[in-house]
Amino acid sequence: MTTAPQPSIVALFERLADGVYTLAARMTRDRHAAEDIVQETFLRALTRLHTWRGEGSIDAWVYRIAYHQSIAVLRRRRDEPTDPATIRDLVTDPEGSAERRVLTMELAARLDAAIGALAPTLRAAFVLRDVEGLSTRDVASALELSESAVKMRLKRARLALRRELEDYL
Amino acid sequence: MTELTCDELDALLPELFDGRLSPEVESASLRHLATCDQCRIVVGDLERVGEMYREHGRLTLPDDARARIRAILEQG
Ligand SMILES: [Zn+2]
Repeated sequence: MTTAPQPSIVALFERLADGVYTLAARMTRDRHAAEDIVQETFLRALTRLHTWRGEGSIDAWVYRIAYHQSIAVLRRRRDEPTDPATIRDLVTDPEGSAERRVLTMELAARLDAAIGALAPTLRAAFVLRDVEGLSTRDVASALELSESAVKMRLKRARLALRRELEDYL
Repeated sequence: MTELTCDELDALLPELFDGRLSPEVESASLRHLATCDQCRIVVGDLERVGEMYREHGRLTLPDDARARIRAILEQG
């Protein structure tokens, strides 16, 4: 039996930080909660790296930790009265001409709202597969689902998003 | 079975994608898609939705958070 070489946690962080942040921010719709999730995810990955057996992709393994953290935040939030101030705008200032920025900002706001309206389980599958471009197999591993369940969720997510984004298509 | 209208097909799309239609309804759906440009565009939209998010949906971890977390990990 061969042991897969253990990647350094910093290298892993450099490669996956934005993807993990995207997943966490899209799931929680809260930048600060998402930053906390990124930190907690990589700290947990660091302490558990020796338990990773080299089966499947390490990216999927990291995303799985982040997904569990995000679900935990959503669960805690359900037990608390919702503070509207915690739902923060995720739109960042795009680069380019003022005209293009206004358009992009508007589109980005619509994309945010549309994805935020999805059920969390659909959102996770959609973000990992369509936004981050993971393979169906890695998404299945990250979300602990079968590949056919992932494909089903993806199609449902895209159908729901299409309704919200009709004017842009 | 009789031919489907565009609205009927649209309502059946979730089940079609999930493979939950009866064989007769599924083949009627595919027949409709093969001959109807408008509905093929709808299905093409779903690809476009994915593309739009690939292009605009990614977020970047803010620099201050990135620096803070990297420092914590480097102390490991
Ligand atoms: Zn049609």
